[in-house]
This record gives sequence, structure tokens and C-alpha cells, in this order.
Amino acid sequence: MGSRAHVLRWGKKLWRVRQGLLVMLLLCGPLASAARPHAAVSAVNAVAMDLQSPAQTPSAESAQSQAAPQVILKNFQYQPAQLNVKPGDTVTFRNEDIYDHTVTADDGSFNSGLIPGGKTWTLKITQPGTIAYHCIPHPNMKARLIVAGGNGQPGAAKRGLSPAFNPPHSPQEFHPILVNFTAALLPLAFLSDLLGLWWKRASLHNAAVWMMLYEAIITPLTGAAGWWWRSQVGPALPHAVITVHAMLGSSLAVIFILLAIWRWRIQKKNAVPGASYVVVVAIVMLALVYQGSLGGLMVFGK
Amino acid sequence: MNVKKLIAAVAVGATSLLGTAAFAQGGGATITDPQIVGVVTAADQIDIATAKLALKKTKNDQVKQFAQQMIDDHTKLQNSVNDLGKKLGVKPAPSDTSKSLHTAAAAENKKLAKLSGKAFDKEYIDHEVDYHQQVIDAASKVLIPNAKNAELKSALEGAAPLLQGHLDHAKQIQSSLGS
Repeated sequence: MGSRAHVLRWGKKLWRVRQGLLVMLLLCGPLASAARPHAAVSAVNAVAMDLQSPAQTPSAESAQSQAAPQVILKNFQYQPAQLNVKPGDTVTFRNEDIYDHTVTADDGSFNSGLIPGGKTWTLKITQPGTIAYHCIPHPNMKARLIVAGGNGQPGAAKRGLSPAFNPPHSPQEFHPILVNFTAALLPLAFLSDLLGLWWKRASLHNAAVWMMLYEAIITPLTGAAGWWWRSQVGPALPHAVITVHAMLGSSLAVIFILLAIWRWRIQKKNAVPGASYVVVVAIVMLALVYQGSLGGLMVFGK
Repeated sequence: MNVKKLIAAVAVGATSLLGTAAFAQGGGATITDPQIVGVVTAADQIDIATAKLALKKTKNDQVKQFAQQMIDDHTKLQNSVNDLGKKLGVKPAPSDTSKSLHTAAAAENKKLAKLSGKAFDKEYIDHEVDYHQQVIDAASKVLIPNAKNAELKSALEGAAPLLQGHLDHAKQIQSSLGS
């Protein structure tokens, strides 16, 4: 009987742990997909494309009727100014002016660099949506690509996407990845401290200290990746927004280091955070939310 | 303070009026096709010369790119003007407008030569905004209406979006330097 009770207790304990894990998994799923909606959508598209291609047995007729989408750059205009395409298409941009032009996404998701007169540049379309683009040296040149099947999400074009593992290599990828840690660690550290105060649990305070430390280490890297990104597509970004975003981001990186030191000193005194610390972190968290909204504005539009 | 501001405002207003007047005056109703080609040539050469000075002096990447673009674009524009001139048998001739352009450019170059760093960038870009605005006004109000040869007229009309592009680009950089 005794051993049976023992097993039951263990079973209950195990069940509780499993419940906890289940809740965490349920929470993680939507969070992860919300954090990188583009990655999720594009992966699906890439797979869908691969599945479609064998089904499309290319007959001579369909090959003729589906002329390759093309935009002509002439007389300081993109012709047509609005081109309807679909995911999987490759758009050719042909510069027929004597002047150099660029094809640059308003959201910074692609940039052709200078296309000399007489030359072409191609763009592979992978995602549905509306893509507004312009010419950097001649900003009066503006046009749009409408990618069918879209729900109006900007930033829809990325080149060379495949479902295979693609390690990040450009600032466009590093900054959005690192920023997830920056955005998550501060609220979690804060929550951990609050719960620690409520339940009087030292382990929760310990967790908060470590999370603040990770935050202080990772955020300067997030900032560096952001500055790198900006150096690549600077003129294509809305000036007022990127200026505030860069300055606030750099300030936050410094503030996190100071907060981590503050939190570390509280811990060394074997104390728990007081009201002043809680209030300061709450204010910094509001700044972080605002900072994130500016970043989102530049990447996803309104 | 207020008096100083008023004087400054009046001075700025007067300068821009004079600038526009210089173009309008030269235009009149009597500017000839060779003189029109002369004005375009002067405008190109001046902008290329100013851009070369800017390339030497600026350390700002945006300004550098802009100056290089002015050199590239205006060299190409000038080449097409030269080709058209040869084809039509029109040689550029001086006019009051081209002369006043050169005088104003010499004064601006003197001013720019004395500046460096951010002060130089600001003055150069501010000048490029005013300059392109002036050239656009001159082209639309004087050069295009007075051009007699149809091919010359359409070439001038074709250059308008180039100048507008430069103006927009300069304004963009101006706002990013301003804050």
C-alpha cells in the first residue's frame, strides 16, 4: 500500500510537470509565429511553390501566354507603374535610360544598386503582397508590384528562399532575430521579480538577475546589427523614424547595462528589488514597446 | 534678435528673387536656340564643377554619392546635348543668362571653398536644392517655351524629370542633414 501511495504521489508530480510543459508549449507556439510572421509565411510559400511546379506541365501555349514580367525604366519612369505578378515569378527590370537607376523597396527589403543604362536586374517574387519601390538617385521615380494572393502585407519579396536551412548572413536577418531576445528578456526578468516578491521565492529573483545580465549582453549586439542594417539601406528608410529608432535603441543598450549592474548589486546585498527599481524597469519597458513599434513600422508598414 | 531675423529673411528673399530674375531676364522673348544650348551647357558644367569640389571636400557618404551622381548624370546629359547640337548644327552661344549663371557659380564656389565638414555639406546641398529649382524654373518658363527647333524642345522636356529627380534627392538629403 505504501509503495502504491508513493507511485501515486510521483505520478501526480509528473502530471504537474507535464501540465506546466504543456502550458509553456501552448504559449510558445503563437509567440514564435507572431514574432516572425514573415518567416512562417515565406516558408509556406516556398513549399507551395515547389509542390506546384511539377504539376504545371509547361505546354508551348502556356509558355507563350505567360510572358516573363518585365518593367522598363525609361524617361525617369517605371513602365508599367503598377505590375501584377504572382509568387514564383521573376521580374526583369530593364534600364533603357542613359542614366543609372536603382530599384529599391520602400521598406528596404531589396535594393538593386545602380543599374547602368542598357542593363537589366532581376527580382524573384516569393510572397504575396504589395511592394512599393523607388529609385534612390531620382526619388521622383516610384512604382509598385502587386503580388497576387496577397493580403496587403508589405515586404513581400525576398530572393532565393527555399525550405532548406538558411543560416542568417545579412543584417536584415540578424537584427530581427536578436531583437526577440531583447524584447523578451526584460519583461520576463521583470515578471520574475514581481512573482518573486509576491511568492517570496529567492529562485525567481535569481532568474531575474540572470535574465537582466543576458539582456545587457545581447542588446548591444542587437543594436550593432541594427546599425549595420541601417548602413546598408539608410536612404531607403523614413528618416525621422530611423533616427529616433537608432538613438533610442542605443540608449536602451546602455540603460540595460546600468539596470543589470543595479540588479546585480541588489542581489549581492541579499536584498529584493524595491519600488524604485520596479518603477524604473516599468518605464524602460514602455520605452522598449515604443521602440519595437517603430521597428515594426519600418519593416511591416502601418 | 527680431530685427536681425527680419534682415536675414529679407536678404534671403532678395537673393532668391535676384537668382530667378537672372534667368528670366536672359530669357525674354528673344533667346535663340544656340543661346538655349549655351544655357544648358553652362548649367551642366557648373553643376559638375561644384560636384567635383564637393567630392574633394565632403566626408559624408550620402553627400559623396549625390555629388558623384551629379557628375555622372550631368555628364551624360551634356553628352546628349552635344550630340543633338552637332546633329542640328547648333553651336552653344553665350547669353546674359549663361553669363549670370557663371557669375553666381563663381561666388558660390568661393563660399564653398571656405567651408568644411558639416557646414560645407549643408551649404552644398542647400545650394543644390536652390540651383535645381532655378534651373527647373528656367527650363519650364524660358527655355522650353522659346525653343524653336522641335527636337531641341522635346530634349529639354525630356531633361525635366532628371532635374526634378535631382531636386527631390537633394531635398531628401537636406532634411536628413537638417536634424
